Amino acid sequence: MKCSDVERVLPELLDGAPDGAFPADFETHVKSCPACSNLVSDLKLISSEARQLAATEEPAPRVWLRIAAELRAEGLISDAAIREPESAPTRPILVPTSRRPRWSAWWLAPVAAALVAAGSYVVSHKPAPQVAKQQAPATRVASPAPVASPIPETPAATSASAPTPAPRQMAQKPAKPTDTIRPAVEPESSEEDQQFLTAVSTRAPSMRTTYENQLKAVNADIRETQAYVDRNPGDTDARQHLMDAYEQKALLYQIALDRIQ
Amino acid sequence: MRDSLGKFVQRKEFEAASERLAAGKGDLTDPKQGITEAEAIEQAKQGREAAFEVLYHLHKRRVYSLCLRMVSNPAQAEDLAQEAFLQLFRKIATFRGESAFSTWLHRMTVNVVLMQLRKKGLPVVSLEETLAANDEAPKKEFGTKDVKLTGSIDRLQLQRAIDRLPPGYRTVFVLHDIEGFEHNEIAQIVGCSIGNSKSQLHKARLKLRDYLTFMRAEKAKTG
Repeated sequence: MKCSDVERVLPELLDGAPDGAFPADFETHVKSCPACSNLVSDLKLISSEARQLAATEEPAPRVWLRIAAELRAEGLISDAAIREPESAPTRPILVPTSRRPRWSAWWLAPVAAALVAAGSYVVSHKPAPQVAKQQAPATRVASPAPVASPIPETPAATSASAPTPAPRQMAQKPAKPTDTIRPAVEPESSEEDQQFLTAVSTRAPSMRTTYENQLKAVNADIRETQAYVDRNPGDTDARQHLMDAYEQKALLYQIALDRIQ
Repeated sequence: MRDSLGKFVQRKEFEAASERLAAGKGDLTDPKQGITEAEAIEQAKQGREAAFEVLYHLHKRRVYSLCLRMVSNPAQAEDLAQEAFLQLFRKIATFRGESAFSTWLHRMTVNVVLMQLRKKGLPVVSLEETLAANDEAPKKEFGTKDVKLTGSIDRLQLQRAIDRLPPGYRTVFVLHDIEGFEHNEIAQIVGCSIGNSKSQLHKARLKLRDYLTFMRAEKAKTG
Protein backbone atom coordinates (compact mmCIF):
# COMPACT_ATOMS: atom_id res chain seq x y z
CA MET A 1 0.00 0.00 0.00
CA LYS A 2 1.21 3.49 -0.84
CA CYS A 3 0.47 6.85 0.74
CA SER A 4 -2.06 7.57 -1.98
CA ASP A 5 -3.84 4.34 -1.11
CA VAL A 6 -4.02 5.45 2.50
CA GLU A 7 -5.59 8.69 1.32
CA ARG A 8 -8.19 6.75 -0.59
CA VAL A 9 -9.26 4.36 2.16
CA LEU A 10 -8.78 6.55 5.21
CA PRO A 11 -12.22 8.28 5.19
CA GLU A 12 -13.86 4.87 5.22
CA LEU A 13 -11.59 3.30 7.80
CA LEU A 14 -11.21 6.08 10.29
CA ASP A 15 -14.80 6.04 11.54
CA GLY A 16 -15.70 2.50 10.71
CA ALA A 17 -12.78 0.55 12.01
CA PRO A 18 -11.68 0.52 15.60
CA ASP A 19 -8.00 0.17 16.36
CA GLY A 20 -6.68 -3.14 15.25
CA ALA A 21 -9.36 -3.71 12.67
CA PHE A 22 -7.57 -1.97 9.82
CA PRO A 23 -6.47 -4.06 6.89
CA ALA A 24 -3.05 -5.57 7.38
CA ASP A 25 -1.42 -3.76 4.48
CA PHE A 26 -2.81 -0.45 5.78
CA GLU A 27 -1.36 -1.12 9.20
CA THR A 28 1.95 -2.13 7.73
CA HIS A 29 2.23 1.01 5.68
CA VAL A 30 1.20 3.33 8.50
CA LYS A 31 3.76 1.77 10.81
CA SER A 32 6.50 2.29 8.31
CA CYS A 33 5.49 5.75 7.09
CA PRO A 34 5.88 8.56 9.64
CA ALA A 35 3.80 11.00 7.60
CA CYS A 36 0.83 8.67 7.31
CA SER A 37 1.24 7.57 10.90
CA ASN A 38 1.15 11.19 12.07
CA LEU A 39 -1.82 11.87 9.87
CA VAL A 40 -3.87 9.00 11.25
CA SER A 41 -3.06 9.83 14.86
CA ASP A 42 -3.77 13.53 14.32
CA LEU A 43 -7.14 12.89 12.76
CA LYS A 44 -8.06 10.59 15.60
CA LEU A 45 -6.90 13.19 18.08
CA ILE A 46 -8.98 15.92 16.44
CA SER A 47 -12.02 13.69 16.50
CA SER A 48 -11.64 12.75 20.14
CA GLU A 49 -10.92 16.30 21.28
CA ALA A 50 -13.90 17.62 19.36
CA ARG A 51 -16.24 15.46 21.42
CA GLN A 52 -15.19 17.44 24.47
CA LEU A 53 -16.69 20.58 22.95
CA ALA A 54 -20.25 19.33 23.23
CA ALA A 55 -22.33 21.22 25.78
CA THR A 56 -19.54 23.50 26.91
CA GLU A 57 -21.23 26.79 26.14
CA GLU A 58 -24.00 28.29 28.19
CA PRO A 59 -26.54 30.73 26.79
CA ALA A 60 -27.18 34.03 28.52
CA PRO A 61 -30.07 34.10 31.00
CA ARG A 62 -31.99 36.32 28.60
CA VAL A 63 -32.62 33.34 26.35
CA TRP A 64 -34.85 31.67 28.91
CA LEU A 65 -36.60 34.94 29.69
CA ARG A 66 -37.42 35.38 26.02
CA ILE A 67 -38.65 31.81 25.74
CA ALA A 68 -40.81 32.18 28.83
CA ALA A 69 -42.27 35.44 27.52
CA GLU A 70 -43.06 33.80 24.19
CA LEU A 71 -44.64 30.79 25.87
CA ARG A 72 -46.87 33.09 27.86
CA ALA A 73 -47.73 35.14 24.80
CA GLU A 74 -48.70 31.98 22.94
CA GLY A 75 -50.72 30.70 25.86
CA LEU A 76 -48.64 27.56 26.21
CA ILE A 77 -48.36 28.16 29.91
CA SER A 78 -51.79 27.32 31.18
CA ASP A 79 -53.80 29.33 33.67
CA ALA A 80 -53.92 26.26 35.84
CA ALA A 81 -50.21 26.53 36.21
CA ILE A 82 -50.49 29.78 38.09
CA ARG A 83 -53.21 28.65 40.48
CA GLU A 84 -52.73 27.08 43.84
CA PRO A 85 -53.21 23.34 43.59
CA GLU A 86 -55.89 21.83 45.78
CA SER A 87 -53.49 19.43 47.37
CA ALA A 88 -49.94 20.10 48.31
CA PRO A 89 -47.69 19.21 45.36
CA THR A 90 -44.92 16.73 45.77
CA ARG A 91 -42.71 19.07 43.77
CA PRO A 92 -43.82 22.44 45.07
CA ILE A 93 -41.49 24.44 42.92
CA LEU A 94 -43.45 23.65 39.82
CA VAL A 95 -46.80 24.85 41.01
CA PRO A 96 -47.42 28.54 41.56
CA THR A 97 -50.22 29.61 43.83
CA SER A 98 -53.69 30.98 43.55
CA ARG A 99 -54.70 34.34 42.25
CA ARG A 100 -55.17 36.99 44.83
CA PRO A 101 -56.60 40.47 44.81
CA ARG A 102 -54.92 42.70 42.30
CA TRP A 103 -51.71 44.12 43.53
CA SER A 104 -50.47 47.37 42.23
CA ALA A 105 -47.04 47.01 40.72
CA TRP A 106 -46.96 50.41 39.11
CA TRP A 107 -43.47 51.04 40.35
CA LEU A 108 -41.99 48.09 38.54
CA ALA A 109 -42.12 49.79 35.16
CA PRO A 110 -40.14 52.85 36.26
CA VAL A 111 -37.70 50.61 38.09
CA ALA A 112 -37.14 48.63 34.92
CA ALA A 113 -36.64 51.85 32.98
CA ALA A 114 -34.26 53.11 35.63
CA LEU A 115 -32.28 49.90 35.42
CA VAL A 116 -31.74 50.33 31.71
CA ALA A 117 -30.84 53.98 32.23
CA ALA A 118 -28.43 52.99 34.95
CA GLY A 119 -26.85 50.42 32.71
CA SER A 120 -26.52 52.92 29.91
CA TYR A 121 -24.86 55.37 32.23
CA VAL A 122 -22.44 52.82 33.61
CA VAL A 123 -21.30 51.58 30.25
CA SER A 124 -21.04 55.01 28.70
CA HIS A 125 -18.82 56.41 31.42
CA LYS A 126 -15.41 55.33 32.45
CA PRO A 127 -15.21 55.59 36.21
CA ALA A 128 -12.05 54.99 38.13
CA PRO A 129 -12.23 51.59 39.75
CA GLN A 130 -12.67 52.91 43.28
CA VAL A 131 -15.30 55.40 42.22
CA ALA A 132 -17.24 52.74 40.44
CA LYS A 133 -17.34 50.68 43.57
CA GLN A 134 -18.61 53.55 45.68
CA GLN A 135 -21.25 55.02 43.43
CA ALA A 136 -24.55 53.55 42.49
CA PRO A 137 -25.11 54.11 38.78
CA ALA A 138 -28.77 54.82 39.18
CA THR A 139 -28.07 57.57 41.64
CA ARG A 140 -25.97 59.32 39.04
CA VAL A 141 -28.70 59.60 36.46
CA ALA A 142 -32.02 61.27 36.27
CA SER A 143 -34.46 58.42 36.20
CA PRO A 144 -36.76 58.40 33.18
CA ALA A 145 -39.49 57.13 35.43
CA PRO A 146 -42.62 59.25 35.60
CA VAL A 147 -42.68 58.95 39.35
CA ALA A 148 -40.07 58.98 42.05
CA SER A 149 -39.07 55.39 41.71
CA PRO A 150 -36.94 53.43 44.06
CA ILE A 151 -33.49 53.28 42.61
CA PRO A 152 -31.57 50.04 42.69
CA GLU A 153 -28.13 49.97 44.11
CA THR A 154 -25.23 48.96 42.01
CA PRO A 155 -24.02 45.46 42.50
CA ALA A 156 -20.67 46.84 43.53
CA ALA A 157 -22.30 49.03 46.13
CA THR A 158 -24.42 46.26 47.50
CA SER A 159 -21.50 43.94 47.61
CA ALA A 160 -19.89 46.08 50.23
CA SER A 161 -22.68 45.34 52.64
CA ALA A 162 -23.21 41.75 51.75
CA PRO A 163 -20.65 39.41 53.14
CA THR A 164 -22.81 36.34 52.64
CA PRO A 165 -22.15 34.56 49.39
CA ALA A 166 -25.18 33.97 47.21
CA PRO A 167 -24.86 31.05 44.83
CA ARG A 168 -25.65 31.62 41.18
CA GLN A 169 -28.41 29.27 40.38
CA MET A 170 -29.82 30.21 37.04
CA ALA A 171 -26.55 30.75 35.25
CA GLN A 172 -25.10 27.73 37.01
CA LYS A 173 -21.62 29.12 37.06
CA PRO A 174 -19.86 27.46 39.94
CA ALA A 175 -18.00 29.66 42.32
CA LYS A 176 -14.27 29.25 42.14
CA PRO A 177 -11.90 30.49 44.76
CA THR A 178 -9.39 31.23 42.04
CA ASP A 179 -11.83 32.95 39.72
CA THR A 180 -10.18 36.21 38.87
CA ILE A 181 -13.37 37.77 37.60
CA ARG A 182 -15.51 37.05 40.61
CA PRO A 183 -15.12 39.59 43.41
CA ALA A 184 -14.43 38.49 46.93
CA VAL A 185 -17.96 39.15 48.15
CA GLU A 186 -21.34 38.54 46.65
CA PRO A 187 -24.06 41.15 46.63
CA GLU A 188 -27.35 40.73 48.35
CA SER A 189 -30.52 42.00 46.82
CA SER A 190 -31.12 45.71 46.88
CA GLU A 191 -34.09 47.23 48.66
CA GLU A 192 -35.94 47.35 45.36
CA ASP A 193 -35.18 43.73 44.71
CA GLN A 194 -36.62 42.88 48.09
CA GLN A 195 -39.74 44.91 47.31
CA PHE A 196 -39.96 43.15 44.01
CA LEU A 197 -39.72 39.73 45.62
CA THR A 198 -42.21 40.73 48.28
CA ALA A 199 -44.61 41.75 45.57
CA VAL A 200 -44.12 38.46 43.80
CA SER A 201 -44.63 36.62 47.08
CA THR A 202 -47.86 38.47 47.66
CA ARG A 203 -49.21 37.90 44.22
CA ALA A 204 -47.75 34.53 43.28
CA PRO A 205 -45.97 33.07 46.30
CA SER A 206 -44.65 29.93 44.72
CA MET A 207 -43.05 31.91 41.91
CA ARG A 208 -40.85 33.68 44.39
CA THR A 209 -38.14 31.07 44.26
CA THR A 210 -37.99 31.22 40.50
CA TYR A 211 -37.74 34.99 40.42
CA GLU A 212 -35.37 35.04 43.33
CA ASN A 213 -33.04 32.65 41.54
CA GLN A 214 -33.21 34.65 38.36
CA LEU A 215 -32.62 37.86 40.23
CA LYS A 216 -29.61 36.37 41.97
CA ALA A 217 -28.24 35.22 38.65
CA VAL A 218 -28.62 38.56 36.94
CA ASN A 219 -27.32 40.46 39.97
CA ALA A 220 -24.30 38.20 40.05
CA ASP A 221 -23.76 38.79 36.36
CA ILE A 222 -23.95 42.54 36.83
CA ARG A 223 -21.64 42.45 39.80
CA GLU A 224 -19.18 40.13 38.10
CA THR A 225 -19.07 42.20 34.95
CA GLN A 226 -18.90 45.43 36.93
CA ALA A 227 -15.88 44.13 38.76
CA TYR A 228 -14.30 43.21 35.45
CA VAL A 229 -15.08 46.65 34.02
CA ASP A 230 -13.59 48.26 37.11
CA ARG A 231 -10.35 46.44 36.43
CA ASN A 232 -10.52 46.89 32.67
CA PRO A 233 -12.26 50.21 32.09
CA GLY A 234 -11.21 50.30 28.46
CA ASP A 235 -12.82 46.99 27.56
CA THR A 236 -15.78 47.94 25.39
CA ASP A 237 -16.92 44.35 25.15
CA ALA A 238 -17.22 44.18 28.89
CA ARG A 239 -19.17 47.44 28.95
CA GLN A 240 -21.57 46.09 26.39
CA HIS A 241 -21.97 42.94 28.42
CA LEU A 242 -22.71 45.04 31.49
CA MET A 243 -25.36 46.96 29.57
CA ASP A 244 -26.87 43.67 28.49
CA ALA A 245 -26.95 42.51 32.09
CA TYR A 246 -28.85 45.61 33.15
CA GLU A 247 -31.27 45.10 30.29
CA GLN A 248 -31.66 41.54 31.45
CA LYS A 249 -32.65 42.73 34.89
CA ALA A 250 -35.06 45.25 33.45
CA LEU A 251 -36.60 42.50 31.35
CA LEU A 252 -37.03 40.37 34.46
CA TYR A 253 -38.90 43.18 36.19
CA GLN A 254 -40.99 43.74 33.09
CA ILE A 255 -41.97 40.10 32.83
CA ALA A 256 -42.94 40.07 36.46
CA LEU A 257 -45.02 43.16 35.87
CA ASP A 258 -46.82 41.48 32.99
CA ARG A 259 -47.55 38.42 35.05
CA ILE A 260 -48.74 39.90 38.29
CA GLN A 261 -50.72 42.86 37.03
CA MET B 1 -20.95 44.53 18.79
CA ARG B 2 -22.83 41.30 19.32
CA ASP B 3 -19.85 39.37 18.04
CA SER B 4 -17.49 41.09 20.38
CA LEU B 5 -19.91 40.56 23.24
CA GLY B 6 -19.97 36.92 22.33
CA LYS B 7 -16.20 36.78 22.43
CA PHE B 8 -16.23 38.37 25.84
CA VAL B 9 -18.77 35.90 27.06
CA GLN B 10 -16.83 33.05 25.51
CA ARG B 11 -13.68 34.21 27.22
CA LYS B 12 -15.43 34.10 30.55
CA GLU B 13 -17.19 30.89 29.71
CA PHE B 14 -13.93 29.23 28.81
CA GLU B 15 -12.54 29.82 32.29
CA ALA B 16 -15.30 27.78 33.84
CA ALA B 17 -15.82 25.34 30.98
CA SER B 18 -14.31 22.28 32.59
CA GLU B 19 -16.32 22.69 35.76
CA ARG B 20 -19.54 23.24 33.88
CA LEU B 21 -18.82 20.30 31.67
CA ALA B 22 -18.40 18.06 34.67
CA ALA B 23 -21.56 19.43 36.23
CA GLY B 24 -23.66 19.10 33.14
CA LYS B 25 -22.96 15.60 31.93
CA GLY B 26 -24.98 12.53 32.32
CA ASP B 27 -27.46 13.45 34.99
CA LEU B 28 -30.94 14.04 33.70
CA THR B 29 -32.18 15.20 37.04
CA ASP B 30 -32.04 18.87 37.70
CA PRO B 31 -30.44 18.96 41.13
CA LYS B 32 -31.69 22.38 42.11
CA GLN B 33 -35.25 21.66 41.13
CA GLY B 34 -35.35 18.10 42.41
CA ILE B 35 -37.31 16.79 39.46
CA THR B 36 -36.55 14.26 36.80
CA GLU B 37 -36.73 14.91 33.09
CA ALA B 38 -39.68 12.56 32.70
CA GLU B 39 -41.61 14.36 35.44
CA ALA B 40 -40.80 17.71 33.89
CA ILE B 41 -42.05 16.54 30.49
CA GLU B 42 -45.35 15.42 31.95
CA GLN B 43 -45.80 18.68 33.84
CA ALA B 44 -44.79 20.71 30.80
CA LYS B 45 -47.57 19.00 28.88
CA GLN B 46 -49.91 20.54 31.43
CA GLY B 47 -48.47 23.95 30.72
CA ARG B 48 -46.47 24.47 33.87
CA GLU B 49 -43.86 27.10 33.39
CA ALA B 50 -41.39 25.76 35.90
CA ALA B 51 -41.43 22.41 34.10
CA PHE B 52 -40.50 24.14 30.87
CA GLU B 53 -37.74 25.87 32.73
CA VAL B 54 -36.40 22.62 34.13
CA LEU B 55 -36.27 21.13 30.64
CA TYR B 56 -34.59 24.24 29.35
CA HIS B 57 -31.91 24.14 32.01
CA LEU B 58 -31.29 20.45 31.47
CA HIS B 59 -30.59 20.88 27.77
CA LYS B 60 -29.64 24.50 27.25
CA ARG B 61 -25.88 23.94 27.05
CA ARG B 62 -26.08 21.15 24.55
CA VAL B 63 -28.57 23.01 22.37
CA TYR B 64 -26.80 26.34 22.54
CA SER B 65 -23.38 24.78 21.98
CA LEU B 66 -24.67 22.95 18.94
CA CYS B 67 -26.12 26.16 17.52
CA LEU B 68 -22.96 28.09 18.29
CA ARG B 69 -20.70 25.54 16.63
CA MET B 70 -22.80 25.49 13.54
CA VAL B 71 -23.21 29.23 13.02
CA SER B 72 -20.17 30.59 14.89
CA ASN B 73 -22.12 33.61 16.03
CA PRO B 74 -23.24 33.86 19.68
CA ALA B 75 -26.17 36.20 19.07
CA GLN B 76 -27.45 34.10 16.20
CA ALA B 77 -26.90 30.96 18.24
CA GLU B 78 -29.04 32.39 21.03
CA ASP B 79 -31.85 33.11 18.58
CA LEU B 80 -31.60 29.62 17.14
CA ALA B 81 -31.52 27.97 20.55
CA GLN B 82 -34.57 29.99 21.51
CA GLU B 83 -36.38 28.90 18.37
CA ALA B 84 -35.43 25.27 18.91
CA PHE B 85 -36.79 25.27 22.44
CA LEU B 86 -39.94 27.06 21.38
CA GLN B 87 -40.57 24.51 18.66
CA LEU B 88 -39.98 21.77 21.17
CA PHE B 89 -42.33 23.23 23.74
CA ARG B 90 -45.02 23.83 21.14
CA LYS B 91 -44.90 20.15 20.23
CA ILE B 92 -44.23 18.69 23.62
CA ALA B 93 -47.78 17.41 23.96
CA THR B 94 -47.06 15.07 21.05
CA PHE B 95 -43.98 13.58 22.68
CA ARG B 96 -44.76 9.96 23.46
CA GLY B 97 -41.39 8.89 24.71
CA GLU B 98 -40.61 6.38 21.98
CA SER B 99 -37.29 8.07 21.44
CA ALA B 100 -35.07 9.85 23.90
CA PHE B 101 -36.20 13.36 24.62
CA SER B 102 -32.69 14.66 24.06
CA THR B 103 -32.53 12.99 20.65
CA TRP B 104 -35.81 14.57 19.70
CA LEU B 105 -34.63 17.98 20.86
CA HIS B 106 -31.29 17.77 19.13
CA ARG B 107 -32.86 16.67 15.88
CA MET B 108 -35.16 19.63 16.14
CA THR B 109 -32.27 21.94 16.88
CA VAL B 110 -30.31 20.70 13.90
CA ASN B 111 -33.32 21.23 11.67
CA VAL B 112 -33.80 24.76 12.98
CA VAL B 113 -30.15 25.59 12.33
CA LEU B 114 -30.10 24.00 8.89
CA MET B 115 -33.24 25.85 7.92
CA GLN B 116 -31.60 29.08 8.97
CA LEU B 117 -28.46 28.28 7.01
CA ARG B 118 -30.52 27.47 3.94
CA LYS B 119 -32.39 30.74 4.28
CA LYS B 120 -29.08 32.54 4.25
CA GLY B 121 -28.00 30.61 1.20
CA LEU B 122 -25.13 28.95 2.97
CA PRO B 123 -24.04 25.54 1.70
CA VAL B 124 -25.55 23.25 4.29
CA VAL B 125 -24.77 20.39 1.98
CA SER B 126 -21.78 21.47 -0.02
CA LEU B 127 -21.51 17.95 -1.35
CA GLU B 128 -20.69 16.66 -4.77
CA GLU B 129 -21.59 19.44 -7.10
CA THR B 130 -20.35 22.15 -4.76
CA LEU B 131 -17.16 20.36 -3.95
CA ALA B 132 -16.34 19.75 -7.56
CA ALA B 133 -15.67 23.41 -8.01
CA ASN B 134 -14.74 24.17 -4.44
CA ASP B 135 -11.23 25.35 -3.82
CA GLU B 136 -11.87 25.15 -0.10
CA ALA B 137 -11.16 21.45 -0.16
CA PRO B 138 -7.89 20.82 1.60
CA LYS B 139 -5.06 19.93 -0.69
CA LYS B 140 -3.38 17.17 1.17
CA GLU B 141 -0.09 15.92 -0.07
CA PHE B 142 0.05 12.54 1.55
CA GLY B 143 3.40 11.36 2.66
CA THR B 144 5.12 14.64 1.90
CA LYS B 145 4.70 16.47 5.20
CA ASP B 146 5.95 15.10 8.43
CA VAL B 147 3.88 17.21 10.77
CA LYS B 148 2.21 16.08 13.93
CA LEU B 149 -0.05 17.78 16.40
CA THR B 150 1.11 15.44 19.19
CA GLY B 151 -0.27 15.17 22.66
CA SER B 152 -3.32 17.29 23.06
CA ILE B 153 -5.11 20.08 21.26
CA ASP B 154 -5.88 23.36 22.92
CA ARG B 155 -9.65 23.57 23.09
CA LEU B 156 -9.78 27.25 22.26
CA GLN B 157 -7.65 26.70 19.19
CA LEU B 158 -9.87 23.86 18.13
CA GLN B 159 -12.92 26.09 18.52
CA ARG B 160 -11.30 28.75 16.38
CA ALA B 161 -10.31 26.23 13.75
CA ILE B 162 -13.86 24.88 13.59
CA ASP B 163 -15.16 28.43 13.21
CA ARG B 164 -12.93 28.79 10.14
CA LEU B 165 -14.33 25.74 8.42
CA PRO B 166 -16.55 26.34 5.42
CA PRO B 167 -20.20 25.87 6.47
CA GLY B 168 -20.64 22.60 4.58
CA TYR B 169 -17.66 20.95 6.25
CA ARG B 170 -18.54 22.48 9.59
CA THR B 171 -22.04 21.07 9.58
CA VAL B 172 -20.94 17.49 9.07
CA PHE B 173 -18.01 17.80 11.45
CA VAL B 174 -20.15 19.29 14.22
CA LEU B 175 -22.87 16.72 13.78
CA HIS B 176 -20.52 13.74 13.69
CA ASP B 177 -17.49 14.50 15.80
CA ILE B 178 -19.02 16.84 18.36
CA GLU B 179 -22.66 15.80 18.57
CA GLY B 180 -22.13 12.12 17.90
CA PHE B 181 -24.55 11.61 15.02
CA GLU B 182 -23.85 8.64 12.78
CA HIS B 183 -23.24 9.06 9.07
CA ASN B 184 -26.58 7.53 8.17
CA GLU B 185 -28.32 10.01 10.48
CA ILE B 186 -26.39 12.91 9.04
CA ALA B 187 -27.22 11.78 5.53
CA GLN B 188 -30.88 11.74 6.47
CA ILE B 189 -30.84 15.07 8.28
CA VAL B 190 -28.75 16.95 5.77
CA GLY B 191 -30.05 15.21 2.68
CA CYS B 192 -26.92 13.65 1.22
CA SER B 193 -25.44 10.24 0.73
CA ILE B 194 -23.61 8.41 3.49
CA GLY B 195 -20.47 8.37 1.39
CA ASN B 196 -20.71 12.09 0.97
CA SER B 197 -21.05 12.59 4.68
CA LYS B 198 -17.91 10.54 5.24
CA SER B 199 -16.04 12.43 2.57
CA GLN B 200 -17.09 15.79 4.01
CA LEU B 201 -16.07 14.75 7.47
CA HIS B 202 -12.66 13.55 6.34
CA LYS B 203 -11.97 16.75 4.47
CA ALA B 204 -13.11 18.79 7.44
CA ARG B 205 -10.68 16.94 9.68
CA LEU B 206 -7.84 17.43 7.21
CA LYS B 207 -8.59 21.11 7.06
CA LEU B 208 -8.72 21.37 10.82
CA ARG B 209 -5.37 19.64 11.01
CA ASP B 210 -3.93 22.20 8.63
CA TYR B 211 -5.41 25.06 10.64
CA LEU B 212 -4.18 23.67 13.93
CA THR B 213 -0.72 23.00 12.60
CA PHE B 214 -0.57 26.54 11.28
CA MET B 215 -1.80 27.97 14.57
CA ARG B 216 0.75 25.96 16.48
CA ALA B 217 3.54 27.15 14.21
CA GLU B 218 2.41 30.76 14.58
CA LYS B 219 2.27 30.43 18.31
CA ALA B 220 5.75 28.95 18.37
CA LYS B 221 7.03 31.89 16.32
CA THR B 222 5.51 34.53 18.58
CA GLY B 223 5.99 32.65 21.81
